[in-house]
Amino acid sequence: MHDRLVAIEHIVAQHRHEHGALLSILEEVQRTSEHNYLSKDELAHVARSLTLPLADVYSVATFYAFFNLKPQGEHVITVCRGTACHTRGSKPLLEKVLTYLGISLEDDGSATTADCRFTVHTVACFGQCALAPVVSVDGVIHSRITEKQLLMLIDALAGKKEAVV
Amino acid sequence: MDSNQVHVTIDGNELDVAQGTKIIDACNLVGIHLPSLCYLKDISSYGSCGVCVVEVEGAKRLVRSCMQSVQNNMVIHTHTQRVLAARKTNVELLLANHEMTCTTCERNLNCELQELAQQMGIRDQRFVKTRKKPLALDLTSLSLVRNPNACILCNRCVEVCRSMQSVSAIQMTRRGLSTQVATFAELGLGNSVCTNCGQCSLVCPTAAITEKSSEQEVLDALADPNLVVLVQTAPAIRVGLGEAMGMEEGALVTGKMVSALRTMGFDRVFDTQFSADLTIMEEGYELIERIQKGGTLPMITSCSPGWIKFIETFYPEQTDHLSTCKSPQQMFGAIAKTYYAEKMGLDPATIKVVSIMPCTAKKFEAGRNEMDSSHAYWQHKGVVGEDEHFCDVDYVLTTRELARMLKRLGINFASLQESQFDDPLGESTGSAVIFAASGGVMEAALRTAYEKLTGNSLENLEFSALRERKGIREATLQIGDLACKVAVTNTLGNARVLLDQIKDGKSEYAFIEVMTCPDGCIGGGGQSIPSHAEQRSKRIESIYEEDRGKQSRKSHENPSIQTLYASFLTEPLSEVSHHLLHTHYTKRSAWDY
Ligand code: SF4
Ligand code: SF4
Ligand code: SF4
Ligand code: FES
Ligand code: FES
Repeated sequence: MHDRLVAIEHIVAQHRHEHGALLSILEEVQRTSEHNYLSKDELAHVARSLTLPLADVYSVATFYAFFNLKPQGEHVITVCRGTACHTRGSKPLLEKVLTYLGISLEDDGSATTADCRFTVHTVACFGQCALAPVVSVDGVIHSRITEKQLLMLIDALAGKKEAVV
Repeated sequence: MDSNQVHVTIDGNELDVAQGTKIIDACNLVGIHLPSLCYLKDISSYGSCGVCVVEVEGAKRLVRSCMQSVQNNMVIHTHTQRVLAARKTNVELLLANHEMTCTTCERNLNCELQELAQQMGIRDQRFVKTRKKPLALDLTSLSLVRNPNACILCNRCVEVCRSMQSVSAIQMTRRGLSTQVATFAELGLGNSVCTNCGQCSLVCPTAAITEKSSEQEVLDALADPNLVVLVQTAPAIRVGLGEAMGMEEGALVTGKMVSALRTMGFDRVFDTQFSADLTIMEEGYELIERIQKGGTLPMITSCSPGWIKFIETFYPEQTDHLSTCKSPQQMFGAIAKTYYAEKMGLDPATIKVVSIMPCTAKKFEAGRNEMDSSHAYWQHKGVVGEDEHFCDVDYVLTTRELARMLKRLGINFASLQESQFDDPLGESTGSAVIFAASGGVMEAALRTAYEKLTGNSLENLEFSALRERKGIREATLQIGDLACKVAVTNTLGNARVLLDQIKDGKSEYAFIEVMTCPDGCIGGGGQSIPSHAEQRSKRIESIYEEDRGKQSRKSHENPSIQTLYASFLTEPLSEVSHHLLHTHYTKRSAWDY
């Protein structure tokens, strides 16, 4: 932890006089973090280094969807839960993935495996309704995907088998 | 017309008002009170509720009167059909996610949201809820409870905490439909920099922030025949309780309050003013000692627990400036369970001390680990064991909680006879009364310090410079050949200014009084709601009236205090005093959570 705090101080020192310093600092702290998120201790250290109230820093960190306040998986799977995808089975698809990974969605609509390999999110619509159901894996859109294909993809990312999509 | 004035017409009334006046305040000048759920004059202007809208000729949309200032020749209509319909819709929107539990709610009949819903004739929840399940209550604090389900996101609490108190314990977090007032990392007020001052609970228009209630515990204690239940009342209660019981603003109700407490079943009705006189003795001597022996100066008062947590958190390196005196509430508890118990032959473990305070932070103070010196006293004497632990003060009730209990017990307050406090812990002087108003502790201390240091009698007891209604006041008192420069302040934002002076080595004062709340305890976070500047002025007037009417106005002349020293404490700053009446502080940090 100590090294990380020093690293944060370094990031703060680099940006503190910039316009909109807090956002750049939080962005860089998140980017350089191990699991792509801002931990409570890191946020507190940013606040301390800038002599800002903790609640103010928290307010900013929670306002922007870009910032994660929980550890994120190495691989991000986003399942569309829009109407079109729903009618084409996105609910069982989502449930299958969650069961396969042994996790369940939390109040904020996401879930991450304990080893931080995978995070599952939902989205309201990808705007690709004609190709439902739609799932994105690490930013790549997969359309008309089946349960079997998705699980194979996950296996591939987990290093178990070759992908066959 | 003065160039700084503008001419406006409000519902046909023509008037000139100062440029920059908000429309809502201009309306007040012609006797039109516009509803407002988020605006707080001079404190918060957030424009979130939309109930203050008016129609301005030439403007296409309705105007939020709390956000816009008057302009020359503006023609304003405050109650057109369009305005009334918009206001109603806006209240309905606020009610969409509201729990609507008025009958069981702390703020029932004293809630701005409820009042507006009534006024507008709202009879159902027209809009669908966007919140699927209720949000968790914040029960982490010893002083306050936050119920985010009752919150209408008006931002008043955030702004009071930030601008008046310079604490920033809470903020608006997340966004859109998920917006919530929260502490850092949602750890809760009890795990935050919150000073427990309760100013947020005073300005909250709903029940989203209320005191943590001890009403039931006190009723249980009163019903237990094996207990001796003592009550002490802070100076500010006698000018706050009447308001909470429906009497006029600032009503002075000392005698009725005593009768009411007796009717409730308290075994003895005592006065925190007794221990306020005691505080002055200890603190006055402490000041003299610091001046004479070169101790840390300026010395700063220590009777306001919100302030104590503030300095511990934000200026931990300066806690040596604090007087080591406990607050009057805590001195009372320590004396009641030692001296008084001994005198009356009571088993200290069966005594319960209940305090009636204008303050939510007093609940936190009573719960501090070190506030158990009476137990240590008896343990040292071998009378009680370590496992039979008790605190000096058992329960703290705010003015509002006491008022609720009186109503619940059916006590018709206004028609009660007046009666007197019990002896000896009920006797007090005018110096103790004025603890309730900002500047009072300073005045009281100067009255005693002057006489003790010079041996002369002080002619003019009232220090008008210390009574001015401004954030930071100062005065210099010539005591013999010593010119003693003092300062008085209230609210933590102002206290910060004086602490920064000390930090920069620029403080010229020997003694500083700090009160956490605006105008001192009479504006405390546990007082009757509302608690605006006008109500507070009336409470202050009543306090000074009570001081003038007291037989003695100097703490050292209180006969019961003299007896206490002669028969128990020996002298101020004695060893017994140190054990029972003095304390130490905790270094905290604003960032370690
Ligand atoms: S906060 Fe006001 S409107 Fe809401 S339940 Fe309580 S009294 Fe009723
Ligand atoms: S009690 Fe005082 S310090 Fe705590 S959140 Fe409320 S206003 Fe801020
Ligand atoms: S808690 Fe009360 S004062 Fe704070 S935003 Fe909510 S309704 Fe307003
Ligand atoms: S509903 Fe899934 S892409 Fe539109
Ligand atoms: S009082 Fe004006 S918008 Fe709330």
